[in-house]
Amino acid sequence: MEKTGIFYSFRSVKTAQQVKKIMKLLGGDVDTVDVDIATTDDFMKFTNYILAVPTWFDGELPSYWDEFLPSIEDEDLKGKNFALFGGGDQKGYPENFVDGIGLMAEFLEERGGQLVGFTSTEGYTFEESRAQRGEQFVGLALDIENQAALSNERIERWVESLKKEFK
Amino acid sequence: MSDIPKIHSIKKTDKETLMKWYRLLFLGRTLDEKAPNYLKQAIGWSYHAPAAGHDGIQLAIGQVFDRSKDHLFPYYRDLITNLSAGLTAEEIIYNGISKDTDVAGGGRHMSNHFAKPEWNIHNVSSCTGNHTLHAVGVARAIKTYEAKGVAFSSQGESSVSEGYVYEAINGASKEQLPVVFVFQDNGYGISVPKKDQTANRKVARNFESMKHLRVMYCNGKDVFDSMNTMLEATKWAEENQKPVIVQANCVRIHSHSNSDRHELYRDDNELGYVKEYDPLAKYRRLLLRYERATEEELKAIEEDVAAEVKVAHRKGMAAPHPTPESIHDFVLPEPYVSSKYPDGTHTFDGEPQKLIQGLNETLKAEFRHNPDTYIWGQDIANKDKGGIFNVSKGMQQEFGKKRVFNAPIAEDFIMGTANGMVRFNKNIRVVVEGAEFADYFWPAMEQFVETTHEYWRTKGQFSPNITVRLASGGYIGGGLYHSQTIEGALATFPGVRIVYPSYADDAAGLLRTSMRSEGMTVFLEPKALYNAPKAATPIPDDFEVPFGKARTRREGKDMTIFTYGNTTHMCVEVAEQLAKEGLGEVEVIDLRSIIPLDTEAILASVKKTSKALVVHEDKVFGGFGGEIAAQITTDAFEYLDAPVKRVGSTFTPVGFNRTLEAAVLPNNERIMEAAKELLAY
Repeated sequence: MEKTGIFYSFRSVKTAQQVKKIMKLLGGDVDTVDVDIATTDDFMKFTNYILAVPTWFDGELPSYWDEFLPSIEDEDLKGKNFALFGGGDQKGYPENFVDGIGLMAEFLEERGGQLVGFTSTEGYTFEESRAQRGEQFVGLALDIENQAALSNERIERWVESLKKEFK
Repeated sequence: MSDIPKIHSIKKTDKETLMKWYRLLFLGRTLDEKAPNYLKQAIGWSYHAPAAGHDGIQLAIGQVFDRSKDHLFPYYRDLITNLSAGLTAEEIIYNGISKDTDVAGGGRHMSNHFAKPEWNIHNVSSCTGNHTLHAVGVARAIKTYEAKGVAFSSQGESSVSEGYVYEAINGASKEQLPVVFVFQDNGYGISVPKKDQTANRKVARNFESMKHLRVMYCNGKDVFDSMNTMLEATKWAEENQKPVIVQANCVRIHSHSNSDRHELYRDDNELGYVKEYDPLAKYRRLLLRYERATEEELKAIEEDVAAEVKVAHRKGMAAPHPTPESIHDFVLPEPYVSSKYPDGTHTFDGEPQKLIQGLNETLKAEFRHNPDTYIWGQDIANKDKGGIFNVSKGMQQEFGKKRVFNAPIAEDFIMGTANGMVRFNKNIRVVVEGAEFADYFWPAMEQFVETTHEYWRTKGQFSPNITVRLASGGYIGGGLYHSQTIEGALATFPGVRIVYPSYADDAAGLLRTSMRSEGMTVFLEPKALYNAPKAATPIPDDFEVPFGKARTRREGKDMTIFTYGNTTHMCVEVAEQLAKEGLGEVEVIDLRSIIPLDTEAILASVKKTSKALVVHEDKVFGGFGGEIAAQITTDAFEYLDAPVKRVGSTFTPVGFNRTLEAAVLPNNERIMEAAKELLAY
């Protein structure tokens, strides 16, 4: 498996803990990159990516992603694999559950990126999600507000699937 | 994928524009943060609703607004919108500390209600979302006159809970009007969270099924997303002549206003993340990250802004306060002055016409006289039907559907869009049938009250040139909801004229004067007299009755009856009877206008007869007669030989059963009884 870049905000707390778990399970050659200060070059050097994209407010990307994305908006992402995960609140924001994952997925696909690590929507209760395609999310949805006890198992299963899907 | 073209981005937008925006945003934030200091120092700005957290969408609204063709209705949180639309720092401060130089209205309106009517940046109410109907009204004019431009209605998301906002958006959808409704969604209506307002978190979703309406969502904290969305919304609305809703996600970084304490209902986590979202900080980081500006360049702008605000502050402090004596200025604009009929009387001796005929023909004559005249209301025009009582019969056939048309059954919409449409052009005169019956006018009261404020609040910059026709009063067996006469309630609001004719010629003459005057006139029509032979009179074709000119219906020396509307005829009959019986010569004064009131005629008659009886159809308790009686006792007490008496309805609703109606409403017998008592006093 080629080197994996895990991108998240180093200022985050909950997301940082999730990243720790993912790294432990994934093993191998992994780099972490702080989205707050990442450059185009920092981003483009990987083949496999794990992007931590929590959903903010009524279905938005966190500011740090918003601020980073212009760096790569003109890049060709063909041949690169992207696994997305992020937190959402299916009770508090049922109309926009993990929309951030969906927004990021659309951005990456428009530039040729390949999405991996889809997961089933089974076990979640929400109304709408931009991350939903059929009966799957285009990444891993974590809900520590309402289903914290399920997070470890979900992460484990997801990482296992990534090991198969990453090149 | 978004269907909004990405015209602007941190990488694509030219540097000059980026720097201009930074300057506006920083200036907005500086003023927003400075505002509370004025209150702390007891200088002013006692109402301040901070804009911080709405910066992106507010910048965008102001940037897309083009004062040469658009109309902007900002709300009380729109400080940056106004700056971005062109107001200066000193103009913001003049408003904030309510100086006479305030371009919104000379310190008459609450602080933080920024406006510049001269640029079509309208001075709006504090009633949240009230201006939504005005935006729809002016957009109707934009469409009618095939003009360029759009109307922007900017408001908080909680305002959408108001029923009149639904009426406005429904109307814009039905009439396909170029309005851009911007919902600035910060999650709260003061302390009330969105979940307590409506089921959908994004309230715009409630409107998605409306026809001809495009709904767009954007991040109101992001300058580029906001700009791209507002550019597309404005272009689409203007090109397609259809409405758009833009729901912009914002955050409220501070409390709702300086009278709110958000720490009472928001936890530390929330208070922290709203700061994290700060749109200004994000924009600044983007400029530096993508090397579109250097730290030095940004600091130079910040220093310039600080200096500019300092100068503006000094000018604000030195500017004059409004004077106490100015309170009476701009309550009502000067009315149309009749040169032919200065007293509102005539000697024309033609064929008598019924009151309804007089109204119908005057409406038509005025529509021919002024091509910028419009009429709408419920039931106003459907084939041969022209109004519930056919007062507007034949008008749509003659003047077309653009000038004469039905309104939805939404009285507030009828009033509110009148207030909006007349803003387009000072020549426009709108006549509305405010409701099917005066009894149904109450849902329009919030727009009525609003309209009474306009001329005064804008210091004469905007005059709502509207005639509100209402079929009024009882004596038709109509019961509680077809008998009300509402002048007593309406007369408590400064800023409106109220007329109440009793005869066909006065109805025609007062209607002409109303339709030629600036300002709002409530025109109460005694519907029981529409077809009554006793109200029919000859009417000169060009008859005009000035406001505030009473008409003596019968000369007398022993007592005066002051009256108007349905009861005028009763009073004349009673006076004739009393004369026949040799009990006295009673003068009958038909007031015709109650605002303005012909106080001069009232006092002159009291001085002549020394006895006064006030008669009206409305309730005695709380009725307008109380005001007349009070003025007589204050100003003519020495001339009175008896207490002022009043006759009117009982303090009850009007019952439907004829026996009940007769027991409630005044009649000849009751007037006769009171008159005899007074004559014998």
